[in-house]
Amino acid sequence: MELVRLEHAVIGYRQPLLPPLDLAVRAGTTLGVLGPNGAGKTALLKSLLGLLPLIAGRRVLPLSRAPRIGYVPQRDRLDMSWPFTVLDVVLMGRARLAGPGRPYSAMDRKAARDALGEIGIGDLADRPLYALSGGQHQKVLIARALAAEPELLVLDEPTSAMDPAAERILLELVQRLKQAHNLSVVLATHQLTAVAGFATEVAVVDRERQLFEVGPAAEMIDPQRLGRLYGREVRVAQLDGHTAVVVK
Amino acid sequence: MSGFLDFWAGRDLWVEPMIAGLLAGAILGYLGVFVVLKRMVFVSAALSEISGVGVAFAFYVGSLVGIDPHQHGAVPLLLEPTWFSLLFGCFAAFLFSLRPGHRKLAPETIVGLGYIVASALVLAILNSPRIAQEAHAVGDILFGNAVTVPRAQIWVLFAASFAAMVVNVLFFKELLFVSYDPETALVQGVGVFRYELMLNLVIAVVISVATRAVGALPVFAFTVIPAAAALMITERMRYTIALSVGFGIVSAAIGYYVSWVEQLPTGASMVVVASFFLLPGLLKILRRSTI
Repeated sequence: MELVRLEHAVIGYRQPLLPPLDLAVRAGTTLGVLGPNGAGKTALLKSLLGLLPLIAGRRVLPLSRAPRIGYVPQRDRLDMSWPFTVLDVVLMGRARLAGPGRPYSAMDRKAARDALGEIGIGDLADRPLYALSGGQHQKVLIARALAAEPELLVLDEPTSAMDPAAERILLELVQRLKQAHNLSVVLATHQLTAVAGFATEVAVVDRERQLFEVGPAAEMIDPQRLGRLYGREVRVAQLDGHTAVVVK
Repeated sequence: MSGFLDFWAGRDLWVEPMIAGLLAGAILGYLGVFVVLKRMVFVSAALSEISGVGVAFAFYVGSLVGIDPHQHGAVPLLLEPTWFSLLFGCFAAFLFSLRPGHRKLAPETIVGLGYIVASALVLAILNSPRIAQEAHAVGDILFGNAVTVPRAQIWVLFAASFAAMVVNVLFFKELLFVSYDPETALVQGVGVFRYELMLNLVIAVVISVATRAVGALPVFAFTVIPAAAALMITERMRYTIALSVGFGIVSAAIGYYVSWVEQLPTGASMVVVASFFLLPGLLKILRRSTI
């Protein structure tokens, strides 16, 4: 079952960024969108989400309704100076469910606290937003997305500026949430290891080379294909059940 | 002490402008929290200036048809400067709510253009020979030297403030969400344009009406200073709003009192008093700063 699909889509901000593409997000899958910085990953995500109008082609909603989406934007795009607590931010995920013109109910507050607890930061609920570390802020945004009771979780560069251990922990968290809530996941990143171990399907994008390819992860995490993408020799190896990708 | 006694003895003269100042300080103190946090301070300046164009334009139209819009009671309803002020303000708010999506024309540029053109229009209209004798009256309204406020304007300001509060009470969570993270709000199906327009219209209406009642300078100041002062010393939204409203009210009251006792311009006095509320936050920043 498909949740959202792009057909012959030309994406970009007035100018096409990538060649016309077809892309579907299927229920239960994890789609990794991989490419170097500035490759067009965020534009592709925004086109999938309907935030960026297509230059040509169409965005199809096969369920005949918009899927419930939990969106985790790049955290550096959000202003930390707002006088919000962590709970205030997570409650925003309930805005649509609470209904227009109605304040958040006790149930919404419980759902927000539950989402924080599930992410493992329940103790931060009353902490001011500005007092969080980068990793904590990222988790708050994931909790907000989870509070929206999504079918589809979309994360834009969730592990950027994280050390390898924090990156691993966050990706395992996403994997755990996916299984616990039967989510579909779309994850855009420029970090190869983030996609290699977690995605079931991979879309490779590069504006410079006018490249767009999508397929099963097993086919796409391929030394030759990735070598073409990065213009360097790439090695892929299995270490203790984990996929390691090295760009030489 | 005699200053206060004189002030109290003259309460019949100041009670109406004082009420107008308190109302403006309270509602603009509240809306200012959104204005400052959304980094749209210049939007409020532009709306204030564009509303001023409406006022000046009403005088100009009045001069064309031989009516002085400053003569309350003798002015046709359609020529009331408040309507022009509202009309111009709301149209500007609508324009500012649109996202131009133009690479070289940022929203700030459009707001700046609105401000510049409005300032020029006010100057041009005020210096028009047609309303030369009204220029002083229009100037009072625009620059906050108005020390008397007709009761009708207080009611209009009260109605605008009440409507603004109803909108904000009903849609507070939506207004916060679309102001803080419009992209995610849109993904979740919260109508960003609808709520941004609602907020901008509310701000425009209140600014237009308040500009007419207490002048452009204090209106601009009340949308910026109380909120900025509160934000520097609070970490919770509810405290920020409460303090900002409080600062707005106290600035209006003390500012009016000081202007009365010291024979100073009313609007400017309110702004100076409001500025004192910035000191605790500035001290906090200084204490945190390290060399």
